[in-house]
Amino acid sequence: MLDNSDGNSAVLFQLEGVTKTYGAVTALNDLSLSVPFGPIGLLGPNGSGKTTMIRTLLGLIPVDAGSGQILGMDFRHQQLDIRRAVGFAPEDECLFPRVEGVGFVAYAGELVGMTYKDAMARAHEVLDYVGLGEARYRMVETYSTGMKQRLKLASAIVHDPKLLILDEPTNGMDPAGREEILQLARDLAHNKGMSLLFSSHLLPDVEAVCDHIVVLGGGKLLTQGDLQQLKQVHNRCFEVRLKLDGNGFSQRLSALGCTVESHDDLLLVQIPEGKSPQMLWQTALEEKQQIRYLRPQRSTLEEVFLKAVEQT
Amino acid sequence: MPIFDQGYQHWSGKLSGHTWRWLTITRHGIRAGSKNRILRTALIAAWLPAIALVSVLCLWGLVERRSAMVASFLQFLTFIFPAISTDPHRYRLDVWRLAYSYFLRTELFCSMLLVLLVGPSLISQDLRFNALPLYFSRPLRRIDYFFGKLGIIVAFLGMVMIVPAIVAYILGLLFSLDITIIPDTIGILISSVAYGLIISVSAGLLVLAMSALSRNSRYVALAWVGIWFVSGIVSTVLLNVDSQQRRYAYYHQITMRPPEYNPDMTRQERTQQMQQWRRQREKVTTAYRLEELEFSKNDWRPLVSYVANLSRLGQQLLHTNDTWVDLSQLQSDPLQRDLMLATYMGPQFPWYWSALVLIGLGGLSICILNLSIKSLDRLK
Repeated sequence: MLDNSDGNSAVLFQLEGVTKTYGAVTALNDLSLSVPFGPIGLLGPNGSGKTTMIRTLLGLIPVDAGSGQILGMDFRHQQLDIRRAVGFAPEDECLFPRVEGVGFVAYAGELVGMTYKDAMARAHEVLDYVGLGEARYRMVETYSTGMKQRLKLASAIVHDPKLLILDEPTNGMDPAGREEILQLARDLAHNKGMSLLFSSHLLPDVEAVCDHIVVLGGGKLLTQGDLQQLKQVHNRCFEVRLKLDGNGFSQRLSALGCTVESHDDLLLVQIPEGKSPQMLWQTALEEKQQIRYLRPQRSTLEEVFLKAVEQT
Repeated sequence: MPIFDQGYQHWSGKLSGHTWRWLTITRHGIRAGSKNRILRTALIAAWLPAIALVSVLCLWGLVERRSAMVASFLQFLTFIFPAISTDPHRYRLDVWRLAYSYFLRTELFCSMLLVLLVGPSLISQDLRFNALPLYFSRPLRRIDYFFGKLGIIVAFLGMVMIVPAIVAYILGLLFSLDITIIPDTIGILISSVAYGLIISVSAGLLVLAMSALSRNSRYVALAWVGIWFVSGIVSTVLLNVDSQQRRYAYYHQITMRPPEYNPDMTRQERTQQMQQWRRQREKVTTAYRLEELEFSKNDWRPLVSYVANLSRLGQQLLHTNDTWVDLSQLQSDPLQRDLMLATYMGPQFPWYWSALVLIGLGGLSICILNLSIKSLDRLK
């Protein structure tokens, strides 16, 4: 767990038995979790409660039951202080109308409490950072989808928040624009010491940016933890790539009790209980094959996610 | 690409507290509005009546001092109203009240025009571009949002009603060089400022509520024109229909023909006959107007007009009717006195009727705003 830069608490945010209902719909169901500082990925299928959790953390909605803290502040009583310390880029396409890019970001800064002069100076800085320096004097209505996403990001970081919350930041973006946003999010989280809550449906995006993930489903916590730990190594499952055609190799391994699956030029080999990976080398030798690549198989984030969702 | 990319820099400035956060929205709205050339022109045009107000107050200050600068005007005044020129101090309050009353009546029209230029887009554009999540995810409450938007209207209307009223008052004081003017006239200043605030808040709430009902500001502008003009037209039509019916009853008397020419009458007799006829005609006309004035004390029809309601409150706050009663004493002839009152005094229905209408509209506006501008506490 990372330390808080202020030294107040080692926990970025925590929720204790939080329940939130909208009529018959239970958006958050006795949700309890504790999350460390750093880049956090928030995953979950549609309707899992991700957006409600973000709104709860920002103190935008009253909860039916439960309590919690974010950056050491109670989300039930210190809503305005929380929103001042946090930068939030909402999922929807939303704009302050009829302003230029630099005016948009400066206004966002002023709304958080910056003076006009500070906000304007800072707006120029962050627009340069997100790559909108050249478009700063264009009316925001003329921006492309990717530019609008970067504009939202700029307006979320204009006051240098301790925590940045990005809700589906790469929605509707082309691959190049998506990569730019991910690069910015990665840079902020890993090089600038800003904690990040990154909510997305796109698992590769989360994987590219986050160190820790939280998976929600049906308003409950399905799983959470360090990404590398969740993608655990499979001790008896190996990825093998050979120099030549591997039919004979596969057949021989199958005869020895291994399970072999072929994915293009890659073989996934699961060796039987009690056997050592040495048998792979031995078999290759016997088949006069060269092993060019051998690695214990790791779970992908997709597998972790699907496994967690299947549990519900 | 920037020539020198310094990357992301941390910021260590100080953020202000939450109390005055709504002012940010007001400031932003004023900045955005001041970029509109039509609005700037309208503002300048709306300041012209203020020049007239200042001129009257300064002129009266000089008249009270019998300054040589206004000698020709004093001669003119002596010729028209000798009583006033003899003791201008006695009529100070009346002149100031009337000056402010005419100024505010003109500015009421200007303020409706300014609201038309500023108000319709205030919330409708935020709805159209989905700006509310951006506002409410920042340290801002709904009430701050409403206050901020209302502040824009109040600021623009204050620029043309409240600020000129205060400036004119100060200049009037300076030109009179008489400290006793303050206790005499401070009530007028307070009433003018209060009236300016009433117009600003009432019109602001109303236009914001309409703006919250549509994503298209053109429709909101049309609705505002409807409130402003159409309600006035409807009220006028209703008043005229009713008034014409009563007028018809007087028709015979008012338009009674002059006496027939009688060749047997001497010239003197003929003149006397005509004078008698004219006097009788005046009596009937005055009686008709007085009856209209009396009838207007319980006439609900002006209440249909939004502007008439605001106007009635202004009349009450500035005590304009008392002024006309006072000035009517200048007429020695009781008939002329009554005619003057009947001509110049405005609507006579109870002022609290208008106040109730405006409070009702304000309450309705608040309800609409409350229902239309929701927080983010809802499912998508």
